[in-house]
Amino acid sequence: MIKEIINNDFSEVAASKASVVDFNATWCGPCKMMAPVLEKVSDLMEGKAEFFAIDVDENMMLAAQFGIQSIPTLAIFKDGELVAKSIGFVPQPALEKWLGENL
Amino acid sequence: MERYDIAIIGTGPAGISAAITAKLRNKSIILFGSAELSGKVSKAHSVQNYPGLPDISGEDFAAAFKKHLDSMGIAVTEDKINAVYAMGDYYALQGAENAMYEATAVIIASGVVPGKPFPGEEELLGRGVSYCATCDAALYRGKQAVVLGFSPKEEQEAVFLAEMAEKVYYIPVYKASEPKPEELAGNIEIVSAKPRSIERAEGKTKLVCEEMELVTDGVFILRESVAPGQLVPGLETDGAHIAVARDMSTNLPGCFACGDITGLPYQYVKSAGEGNVAAFSAVSYVDRMRRQA
Repeated sequence: MIKEIINNDFSEVAASKASVVDFNATWCGPCKMMAPVLEKVSDLMEGKAEFFAIDVDENMMLAAQFGIQSIPTLAIFKDGELVAKSIGFVPQPALEKWLGENL
Repeated sequence: MERYDIAIIGTGPAGISAAITAKLRNKSIILFGSAELSGKVSKAHSVQNYPGLPDISGEDFAAAFKKHLDSMGIAVTEDKINAVYAMGDYYALQGAENAMYEATAVIIASGVVPGKPFPGEEELLGRGVSYCATCDAALYRGKQAVVLGFSPKEEQEAVFLAEMAEKVYYIPVYKASEPKPEELAGNIEIVSAKPRSIERAEGKTKLVCEEMELVTDGVFILRESVAPGQLVPGLETDGAHIAVARDMSTNLPGCFACGDITGLPYQYVKSAGEGNVAAFSAVSYVDRMRRQA
């Protein structure tokens, strides 16, 4: 399951022990392709990490705060601290490997 | 959306050979490329080592390819594929203007990308370097950017970006007819410079040219062809080439590559042979997937 973040409200990510955040936008082709892959992986990883989605047009403050210059950008946060970033579409096996290495 | 068995990208000898074999094996295919097939082939002075066609001119060679495709009812879809996404049990192909196609297997036969990346380019991708103005333009609202256009059609990308950005510097990296400033929007400045490298400088992106340095929020590099790792995210590459096994498979299941893009020698007969192998491998992959479904 992926939770949509609104109104630049980062509190849930900040409070989460381990979270994966998908910075995206409605007009972005690779983001649309990334979404179903993330949905699948979020179900596989239930209990290990929380998954969030951030629309950069609706949450410009957060996009600026984390220096998002290209989307999709996936970011891993531990206790609210940014620990890893990945840019662009990632196929499922590569995504699982990257999460395994960084979570 | 129609899901093809096999999508083939490229209309040089590798892609054409793959299309012919896949069609003979009765698979539904879509072949992406140019109606002129391959500029490289048509411009070749003469080909000496293609069995059965001694000393054939590039022009006649291209005409023979065209005739072969026509005789088999294989059409060329003239769309530039900008990205191929591995979705698990299928591939999604993104064309120009965000047209989408789907196929169970994909064969990359798009040839070699001339030119090396600029120093710093790959390191800064997504952190000040972008390959797609239409994708990332919205992130440049009120900001400044440089566009390196490798062909005149990229001028439109600069115009699109300029609708969002505060200021766009456009560097044409081609000789042809120079773009006329009055035809581009007011906040686009055309700069003639020879780009050398890209650096990060205090949160900004610095494009170092022979004549000057441009410091902006980001640099868009718009080449005519996309590097293989960029075309298919997650694809394992070996320098400028795609890493393949003997059956032309890549590290992504269902994705095959053939022709110049897999490496030397750059020979038409080698490309055609690899296209044939790639098609057979793709056909058995599609059959395997169908049995599993």
